[in-house]
Amino acid sequence: MKFNNVFSLSHILTAIFAFALLLGYGLSESSIKNTDTKVLVIGFDGMDPILLERLIKEGKMPNFERLMKTGGFKPLKTSIPPQSPVAWSNFITGMNPGGHGIFDFIHRETKTMIPYLSTSKTEDAKKKITIGDWAIPLSSGKVTLLRHGKAFWEVLEDHGVPTTIFRAPANFPPIDVPVVQLSGMGTPDIQGTYGTFSFYTDGNTNEFEDVSGGKVFPVRVMNNKVESKIFGPQNVFKKSKPQTFIDFSVFIDPENLVAKITVQDHQILLKEGEWSEWVALDFELIPFLESVSGICRFYLKEVRPDFKLYVTPVNIDPSSPAMPISTPDNYSEELYEELGFFYTQGIPEDTKALTEKVLEDSEFLEQANIVFKEELDMFDYELSKFKSGLLFFYFGRVDQLSHMFWRTMDSDHPAHEPATEHRMLIENIYQEADAVLKKALNQLDSNTTIIVISDHGFAPFYRSFNLNTWLKNEGYVSLVDDSEGGFLQNVDWSQTRAYGMGFNGLYLNLEGREIKGVVQPGVEKNALMEEISKKLLTIRDLETGKQVISRVYSAEEIYKGQYVKDAPDLIVGYNKGFRASTETVLGKFPKGLLKDNLDKWSGDHLIEAKFVPGILLSNKKIQSANPALYDIAPTILAEFGIPKQEWMVGKRVFNN
Amino acid sequence: MFGNKIKLDKDLLERCKLISEKRGYSSVEEFIAHTLEKELSAKETTSDEEEEEISKRLKGLGYL
Repeated sequence: MKFNNVFSLSHILTAIFAFALLLGYGLSESSIKNTDTKVLVIGFDGMDPILLERLIKEGKMPNFERLMKTGGFKPLKTSIPPQSPVAWSNFITGMNPGGHGIFDFIHRETKTMIPYLSTSKTEDAKKKITIGDWAIPLSSGKVTLLRHGKAFWEVLEDHGVPTTIFRAPANFPPIDVPVVQLSGMGTPDIQGTYGTFSFYTDGNTNEFEDVSGGKVFPVRVMNNKVESKIFGPQNVFKKSKPQTFIDFSVFIDPENLVAKITVQDHQILLKEGEWSEWVALDFELIPFLESVSGICRFYLKEVRPDFKLYVTPVNIDPSSPAMPISTPDNYSEELYEELGFFYTQGIPEDTKALTEKVLEDSEFLEQANIVFKEELDMFDYELSKFKSGLLFFYFGRVDQLSHMFWRTMDSDHPAHEPATEHRMLIENIYQEADAVLKKALNQLDSNTTIIVISDHGFAPFYRSFNLNTWLKNEGYVSLVDDSEGGFLQNVDWSQTRAYGMGFNGLYLNLEGREIKGVVQPGVEKNALMEEISKKLLTIRDLETGKQVISRVYSAEEIYKGQYVKDAPDLIVGYNKGFRASTETVLGKFPKGLLKDNLDKWSGDHLIEAKFVPGILLSNKKIQSANPALYDIAPTILAEFGIPKQEWMVGKRVFNN
Repeated sequence: MFGNKIKLDKDLLERCKLISEKRGYSSVEEFIAHTLEKELSAKETTSDEEEEEISKRLKGLGYL
């Protein structure tokens, strides 16, 4: 695990207050090797080999075709389970989850059974002194990267290879090495979440009663004016840790579809349907002494008859980051100086705003295009500087838009709209990826090794399955009440032998591991695992007769490394078309086992790994018959003449 | 006060009696009930706040 200090504290002149200082990163002197070798790795999250192959055959991906013909194209074995933080951790470390300890997006604390996001943890300062309402930390808080193992770029750095790692997932905070890094998936917004949008409206808010991923604020238009607040981080300097906020006003033009937003020193004039530029905001923590900067954009969705204003999640300000998002620590500022403000949250496409119908399809696409434009500018910038060593660059667009728009190209999907104007959208985003590759191929010399990968492919998400409800029905879970519950809080642990947590995880309530474990390790555990595995494979969707779960893995059978003990006991491999429900992932027990997925989030990949391999293309011949994600790390090292490291489970895919 | 009986270790009970007398409780039962109530209430509050925080953090994930 890697630790970084978070908060910037300053000494106050009186004797009572004491503040810890932010410890910045000091880049140690590193003897950078003068290497002519260049390796470019582009990661297109979620790019699917079947779709790609079809589009290449149709002549729609000329640059991918060019790369394929120069070197090769093979499916790339993904992780088990095929979830991005797991898969990218395989890529980063050259290990499988038993080695790096990331098994799912969501893990649980065994003492409380409370779930948490698996790749990083933020903790407040442990020691504070309280004066009235104030709670002054005596030390720094910290944010910790929970992925174990050495990243391949740490090995590159050990050998003096110049390296830039741009938005690799599962790398927040970026590990503290003298390598150029910008953190990616897993980087929170200023509130510490994956992204919490704000939506202000004087219209009917009944449909927004249970919105997730954002907050809806009912407002009133009085004399053509709206007043409300934008929320920021919790104020950790106050005992009650209230959320900070900034007041803002909107002056609505009484005749035209125009409004002026005033917030702090900013005045933003927008037409209906227009997006603002980034706006930097200061959230005050201690008057005159301590504040946190965040950035957001405004979208004036509607002026009248209803007033509707969408505000992006408030992102960490790259010009003055409140949390460590880059190494060296001024790299994010360098990017800001060069390119202006940009999304720093790990998954910037606001799929939640679309799912919750706060944004329409076309509005979401505008927002996603803003993200993509920033990424393209950054890609151009990094390519222009790339003279030697390794550059890794990540794009999340294919993944996020495949999730949201699968329904537009799949007439079997319950959420399919035959008249949709976005039928060709997924094909178009693949072609955009082809244009990205073209930039790279045109700019780089023929001595550069180019590797293009994805972490997994895609499949339709037609039906959601309540694993926890099934476990209850089969007698493996006992509940204290009949409610749906949440976070497994209504489970009677004394009578419970197994439970689901996360998207693919099934755990036994194991004595000595879970705080109220009842299943004995050894014979009882093994027998129970076998019993549950067999039963899971017999589950059929009564509507279609299809098998719901096509494979069940045991952690001990598929994982290797010192963290196997932390893995789910069983990993559920759903059949194509199926996925765990949101409710079961969060430890709820809704009625019924299966239901149609009618959400706009219509494509997914959290299923049996064999159905969703990723892609591997290169301008070098791929000798490996069945390459896997964990093969890429030793492959990259080999390009620089560095041997595969002893902890890596894969092998290089080229014969150098 | 106690609807159901609870068995306590002898030493633990002695310690409870000592403290309850020192702190002026009318009986050791009153002290034990008060202590348990305080502890439960702290855990329940934390759990509700925690749940809301956790829910907010997790539900920002597009997969949910």
